[in-house]
Amino acid sequence: MCEMADLLTFGALLERHEKEIFAYALRLVGDRDDADDVYQETFLAAFRAWPPPRRGQERAWLYRIATNKVIDRARRRKHLVRMSDLRLAAPERDGVSLADLAAAIKVLPEGQRAAFVLRKVEGLEYAEVAQALECSEDAARQRVAEAMKKVREAMR
Amino acid sequence: MNVQLADAREHLLARARREGLETVGYRVVDSPLGPLWIAVGPKGVLAIHYGGEPSAAELARIVRTYGPGLLPDARRVDPVARELDQYFGGTRRRFDIAVDLTPLTEFQRRILSATARVAFGEVSTYAKVATQAGSERASRAAGQALGANPIPIVVPCHRILASDGTLGGYAGGLDAKRRLLGLERREVPAGGWPKRS
Repeated sequence: MCEMADLLTFGALLERHEKEIFAYALRLVGDRDDADDVYQETFLAAFRAWPPPRRGQERAWLYRIATNKVIDRARRRKHLVRMSDLRLAAPERDGVSLADLAAAIKVLPEGQRAAFVLRKVEGLEYAEVAQALECSEDAARQRVAEAMKKVREAMR
Repeated sequence: MNVQLADAREHLLARARREGLETVGYRVVDSPLGPLWIAVGPKGVLAIHYGGEPSAAELARIVRTYGPGLLPDARRVDPVARELDQYFGGTRRRFDIAVDLTPLTEFQRRILSATARVAFGEVSTYAKVATQAGSERASRAAGQALGANPIPIVVPCHRILASDGTLGGYAGGLDAKRRLLGLERREVPAGGWPKRS
């Protein structure tokens, strides 16, 4: 779908961001069926709430919706989300295996886990992480720093 | 697109359709004339655009009428793609799919309706089409309306020639017009059928 500066359609939003939103959902919930649900709920919520609140920041808006959907699901189920399936996650780096990383991320509290995945796996800027998690940029940095500390400790 | 994502998208589209969030489905279809971007709305096919994506004007026209709910939905476009395949394969001479001319002006609708009555293998002229549309002095405006025909091939503006028998113009390029006429009439002179003085 063409890049229309001032004419955004559902399809344009979907085609631009569906891959990363699905991958993000899969990293957070760790299960394909659950990721499928989060992906669907995220885009349906975006379509129902149309138009996006701020032009040019649709990506952070989608991440915010997806994060909230994951947290809602976890609360409903009253147990921590799993992080066992990282097939779409970043490749092995610095001798750290995905399994190690997955295990380390698994023990993080929800807010820190989302901040860590958004920043360190999805590569979002801190401003975008803050928007996605509806917190200040400082708080986003703090969550990522805390998460990093815990991940490093877990992987020693 | 990987299989998991393709499945997830199918589920999403089914829900969007059920909720009425998807107003228009679109898909790019391969054809002997290159890729065609096809959009289908609630009343029928809205656009067949030469190329892999619509023009800004085309998209604006659709969004003005049906809102932003355009989604990539192969299933809605399949009947159009099937009839086009049959037409290009030589097994279809008339399209049965509904066309939606709602987003157009009254004049454009009249011109395109008159054009739709020119049968497979026949040709007409801008002047004749204008007359049939009730505006006999508007052949130039008829040419412009046909140049902006959003549903070429199905609304067969390729069958409309200049009054002197030359090919006139075509949004998909004169080569495409020649090929479509050739499909229907076998032989098409390079410049059309200019009248001998």
